[in-house]
Amino acid sequence: MTTLTETAQFDYSAAPFPIPDRIRACHLRDWERLRSPGAWWTGAERVAIARQTRLAEDCALCRERAAALSPASVAGECSPDPLLPQAAVDAIHKLITDKSRLSEQWYGQVTTAEGMSEERYIELLGVLVHVFAVDELHRALELPLEPLPEPLAGRPSGYRPPGAAKDASWPPILLPEDADPNDLDIYQDFGGRRPANVVSALSLVPDNVRWLNDQFAAHYLSWTEMGEIDKRHRTLTRPQLELLATRVSALNECFY
Amino acid sequence: MEFTEAAVRRADNLAETRARVAQAMGPGAAVDAAGTIANFQRMVRIADGTGIPVDSYILERSGELPQRLGLTAYRSAANTFAASPAS
Repeated sequence: MTTLTETAQFDYSAAPFPIPDRIRACHLRDWERLRSPGAWWTGAERVAIARQTRLAEDCALCRERAAALSPASVAGECSPDPLLPQAAVDAIHKLITDKSRLSEQWYGQVTTAEGMSEERYIELLGVLVHVFAVDELHRALELPLEPLPEPLAGRPSGYRPPGAAKDASWPPILLPEDADPNDLDIYQDFGGRRPANVVSALSLVPDNVRWLNDQFAAHYLSWTEMGEIDKRHRTLTRPQLELLATRVSALNECFY
Repeated sequence: MEFTEAAVRRADNLAETRARVAQAMGPGAAVDAAGTIANFQRMVRIADGTGIPVDSYILERSGELPQRLGLTAYRSAANTFAASPAS
């Protein structure tokens, strides 16, 4: 599971079902993004985030906490990672195993912990969700998980979009009217309109939104295709896709 | 729907439910469903990990439906209503 590879393969030739080229191509881009330095974490740290995302699935402490009436009643720390602050490891594990009990208070504790910040948390969340989605597609089709990539060297850029500001969610976000011209592309499919909250949620790190747009289109539909209600873009119809999406959200007790 | 539930719940009937989807609707349907599951396993974590409220235009159109379906009992509903969720 923690094997690293210099070159991602995503070899689906033996998959029980034909995997569309758009999905494999996206997964190759996903792994390149994963191993590259970000705005607030190095490539090695980003791969460590991915590793912890996978380890969380089998974390006994997390299972015990998730089953407890109050997670705080179960003392202990998840297995430490030499490259990550403990607060990052704990956050990763909670986001995977007990996300329906997150709160603004928890967010405040994580982002002010040693080695953390709002920017680092948002980039961590961006890495986590995109790696998790790749793995979830593999798990659903019972394909082996792709080995994690060898990280690329380099320093994080430290870029925070100057127009980012507090809005309705816990972290600051970047809205189209406040975006620097270099960041306007993240909302290009929305024609200047305010994007859905789930799109702007990760915009404190604009590359997160670029990653989101890319993977959303490969796994589901592009934002443009989303607007073409009457067109059929996949084998399943749009109502069928929406029904499955709703069921996933309900099983996760996600009100959004 | 059973395939989706099996995947999210890590249930033992994953292969069986996936095979039924492929048999009834074609292999492309099983891959579409897997992609949708993966996509929304991601989206729920973005939503719950950032505390975003439901977009106002959706909330306005939803009327009493969320409450009638019991969705307002979810803890994450507090991110939309900025108070303890209704029971």
